[in-house]
Amino acid sequence: MNKAYNPAWARHEALQTAAQNWHRRGLLPLPQLQAIRAAYPLIYYRPNIYLQILLFLLTMLGYMAVLGLIFLFTAGLFESTFNWSAPIMIGLAALLAALAGQFALQQLISSSRTYRAGSDQALLYLSLGFAALAWQAFVDAALPNVLDFLLLDSPYLALWLLPVLALLLWATARFGDALLAVLAYVAVMALLANGLLQFGAGRLPLPFAIMALAVGLYQLIRYLAARTNYWYYHACFITLEVLSLATFYLGGNYLIVREGNAAISGLPVSGQIPFAPVFYLLTVLVPLFYLYQGLRRPSRVWLLTGLATLAFSGYTLRFYHSVLPPAVASALLGAFLIGLIAAALRYLRTPQHGLTAAPDNESGERPGLNLEALIVAQTAHAPQSPEPGFQFGGGQSGGGGAEGQW
Amino acid sequence: MIRPEHRRLRRNEPLQDRYIQLFNLFCFMRADPFIAELRDRGLLTTEQATAITADERTRPFSLHYEIRTLLYLGITLLSGGLGVLIYEHLDQIGHGVVVAVVALLMTACFAYAARHRQSFSWTLVPGSSLLADYLLLLGCLLFLVLEGYLQAQYELFGTRYGLALALPAVLFFLLAYRFDHRGVLSMAITALAAWVGLNTQPLAVFENNFLTGSVSRAAIALGALLLLVGWLSETRHRKAHFAYTYILLGGNLLLGAATAALFNEVLNPKALLVLLILAVSAGLFWYGRRAHSHLFLLLGAAYGYVAFTYGLGWLLSEFGLDVVFSLGLYYFVASTAAAVWFLTHLKRLAGTDAHEQGL
Repeated sequence: MNKAYNPAWARHEALQTAAQNWHRRGLLPLPQLQAIRAAYPLIYYRPNIYLQILLFLLTMLGYMAVLGLIFLFTAGLFESTFNWSAPIMIGLAALLAALAGQFALQQLISSSRTYRAGSDQALLYLSLGFAALAWQAFVDAALPNVLDFLLLDSPYLALWLLPVLALLLWATARFGDALLAVLAYVAVMALLANGLLQFGAGRLPLPFAIMALAVGLYQLIRYLAARTNYWYYHACFITLEVLSLATFYLGGNYLIVREGNAAISGLPVSGQIPFAPVFYLLTVLVPLFYLYQGLRRPSRVWLLTGLATLAFSGYTLRFYHSVLPPAVASALLGAFLIGLIAAALRYLRTPQHGLTAAPDNESGERPGLNLEALIVAQTAHAPQSPEPGFQFGGGQSGGGGAEGQW
Repeated sequence: MIRPEHRRLRRNEPLQDRYIQLFNLFCFMRADPFIAELRDRGLLTTEQATAITADERTRPFSLHYEIRTLLYLGITLLSGGLGVLIYEHLDQIGHGVVVAVVALLMTACFAYAARHRQSFSWTLVPGSSLLADYLLLLGCLLFLVLEGYLQAQYELFGTRYGLALALPAVLFFLLAYRFDHRGVLSMAITALAAWVGLNTQPLAVFENNFLTGSVSRAAIALGALLLLVGWLSETRHRKAHFAYTYILLGGNLLLGAATAALFNEVLNPKALLVLLILAVSAGLFWYGRRAHSHLFLLLGAAYGYVAFTYGLGWLLSEFGLDVVFSLGLYYFVASTAAAVWFLTHLKRLAGTDAHEQGL
């Protein structure tokens, strides 16, 4: 597969990062670090994050403005010369826009050596969007009697989605972009759901199919990570790893399954679902398994996904059963968290099982303390005394992300 | 479309700090092939390669930020829950228990922090205990809960509301300096602002009712005071690392208040206000360069741009509205170009280039 960016850039980037880390840990003197930097130069263009965002927006604006101008001038001419239907016209225009975008992107990368600099991503996303739009218009023209082929249970969805998926896979392999990889995975999931929903009984195995798909994706990532240019695709791999863990959990989450089931059937109020105990069990056990794996491997992807899924399991519980009043639940959970962390800190006083509570770079100023002070300034204040007649219902606990919902 | 300058491509720039941090968090380094390659190219000696390999294998995995986040979540949930609980069931028997629990917890938190205190120093005190830091914060939060309750229920301070608000500010300032705690410092600043009648939460400066001249004047004065204190702590080396919090909260308060006053037309003369904003923005910009902080550069540039645009429009409208509208498009294009220039040179302006080189 020919790659849009020079694969050496990603490798040099990773190598320089590793060398920088060794230097910080005092394993590599500065002159050697500079020699390594000179031997593996970073010759691509990637500005700071603010400029990336600005470049992204400006490129999008410019792309749309240029296309709009061209379309304005040529639309009348085309309409008078050819007598085509509206979808075909739109499809052709979008296809030309997509091709022009890809061409401009190629020129941009080869002349300016942009590497995820904002401008190239804007061109990439927009041109692929136009390509998908073009295919949609063509399908629309081919099936004039089918109005809603974009719905999840339409038998014609695959007609549009399969080519789009192929396009996304091609673009992911070529550009190594994480967002495209995510979209490709979403497309695969949609195809799977679409295929199962064609059968009356297909709704029943859908959660299990989604979970199986997530397992498959995880295996695929591990297979590909060992056999492709890992550094070129590492953003894709990490994003997809998070996504596979998340979809495996959500596929078995009671709330998602129950509400999703109701949404597909068009019921106004969700009812009890078949195999409910299985989903109860999955909702409880999967986050704990993730946390265990995250600490055992150790892997931050598993750990953070585990924490997020655990929070969502708590939300699931509170969604159907109000176990305790919000204020009591919040106070108890807070006390439990503090106790747990205090015990963990005591246990990790010296590193245990390859885990430590100390920051990664121990020298001098710990980064993030200034930021933390700002978060405290923004969120830490006591609840005010209630106005007379004011009813406490929401359990506002003043920031913290999960307030009162537990 | 913006073409990046070609001469910048040839400069071999080091990676940005933020990028490296993100990278370290989520990429498990597959460093072994790198080490072998560098050794074969003669960029690492054999001993170094061995040492690095051993370090990569044995270095423990840091749970530091997860622990901090969960601790912070824990103390906000606990203090928030108790804060609501203390006002509920006011006339029931279990109520006294809640008050007692809050008071006991607060005492325990302060006692724990006091037991784990380090000796006082005007510089950054290293090696403070993580748990003690957060329990101190929890103690302060519970103090606010208890004080608010006592005032609401028993009118402890009567109608001397000023005293009720000044007490936490004084206490928190003392604690922040004694325990070298930036979070408590920002709580102290928030409490001080509440005493003046203002809201200094970074994202809420515009929610203040700046509609009256006196509130605006108070905000500007307090902001200026905080800026001065921050500047003095840095130059006199009295807790120099507190300067960031002082200057950010103070600068944001002053500039936000002055800008809001400008748009709501509550303070006069307007020209003086514009000049004040421009001067303070320039000061923040200058400080950002001094402290190698992108945040201050961006804040200074943003507030300065708004004030400059407002001042320019106001000046031009004296000549009639036509000029304003016809120049608007050019002004927009010019400011976009200026923004691109500014962001392109952000790193050079902040002087973080040399910093990131590790020099």
